[in-house]
Amino acid sequence: MIITPQKLQKWVNEGKSFTAIDIRPKEMRIEYPLSKLGPVIADIKSIPSINNDLVLICQFGIVTEGIIYEKELKNAHSLLGGAQAWNEFQLAKEDFSRWSRQTVLSEIGLEGQKKLMKAKIVIVGMGGLGCAAAQSLMTAGIGNLKIVDGDTVELSNLHRQPLYSAEDIGRMKVEVAKEKLERLNGDAIVKIENLYLNKDNGYNIINGTDIVIDATDNISTRILIDRFSKELSVPMVYGGLFQYEGQIGVFNVNGCKGYSDLFPFSQSDQVNCAKTGMLGMLPGIIGNIQALETIKLIVGITPNLAGKLLMYDGMNHSTQTIML
Amino acid sequence: MIKIKIKCFSQVKYALGKKELVLELESGTTTQEVERLIRKKANRNLDIVSLSVAVNKKYISKSLVLNDGDEVAFIPPVQGG
Repeated sequence: MIITPQKLQKWVNEGKSFTAIDIRPKEMRIEYPLSKLGPVIADIKSIPSINNDLVLICQFGIVTEGIIYEKELKNAHSLLGGAQAWNEFQLAKEDFSRWSRQTVLSEIGLEGQKKLMKAKIVIVGMGGLGCAAAQSLMTAGIGNLKIVDGDTVELSNLHRQPLYSAEDIGRMKVEVAKEKLERLNGDAIVKIENLYLNKDNGYNIINGTDIVIDATDNISTRILIDRFSKELSVPMVYGGLFQYEGQIGVFNVNGCKGYSDLFPFSQSDQVNCAKTGMLGMLPGIIGNIQALETIKLIVGITPNLAGKLLMYDGMNHSTQTIML
Repeated sequence: MIKIKIKCFSQVKYALGKKELVLELESGTTTQEVERLIRKKANRNLDIVSLSVAVNKKYISKSLVLNDGDEVAFIPPVQGG
């Protein structure tokens, strides 16, 4: 069983009887002491002899889950997010334990998670790429997401756009997506733009955001996104698909090249997936890589794809990265 | 003579039916000349497709003279979403 810092605080407030056991090494207990938890046993050997509710605490809440499972402990709870999440909860009254599996990563940590929760991302296009990217960004804790699409759900969308189901056919994609995404993270703000991005509205759609994700299905909109991305200095995370292949690029970051520099002569009448066909997994893979690159940009993780184009081939799972 | 490797992506792979090919060319051959050759091999299937070019995994914006052992990638823009 797990217990969140918020629930444990409730136990403390209600005066519930429990025994807290801090299994961390002594030096870590000294460096990162548990605040406001009352008496804590710091000896793992005493676990089996205690009968009331146990709360096991390690630094990130991962080791204790393993101990409970291996020792088959009854009435034992692993503090989700561990001492890190508990102390942050005491400090800021915000429960970060939900994201403990990613805040444990040294590149993310609590500071990175806070950046994600403040971030403002816009996804243009809520087809296969947009569905995948939006889901992953919501579950990662992105705080503000704007989704843009003027299309309705069609039967042929369902095999690659998992936010929609048969009962949604005919409804606006952004409205259905908002409902589903808010279920993934009720704390996030999801704004919808029930329209297609064009030369007249593109500036306002992208203005005020930190990153624009290009999840469109046509080159002419991509060129517009690139233009506004440059004008507004909002990095563009591009994704494109062709049968079993995908492209991902991060453009217009710190003066690096943009989509129109890479494809200066691209035409809007080149083949799209409606003409060539596509397996639903491919937009899932590419959309998730777009989400990953977005997270890396927000948190400041390198290496990333800034100024590069990654090409993925789903047939043999080969990749090639081109420097722009 | 020089030997170069061609990497084909998306529509180029589709049009040529190959992901890679090796060409033996005259010394002094340029990327623009190789692109013409690729388009010819594609039997007009790339006529409406614009191609970006990378040499040795670096995008190039202008044609350049190739060297023995170079790897040339032809990258079309793709739609999909």
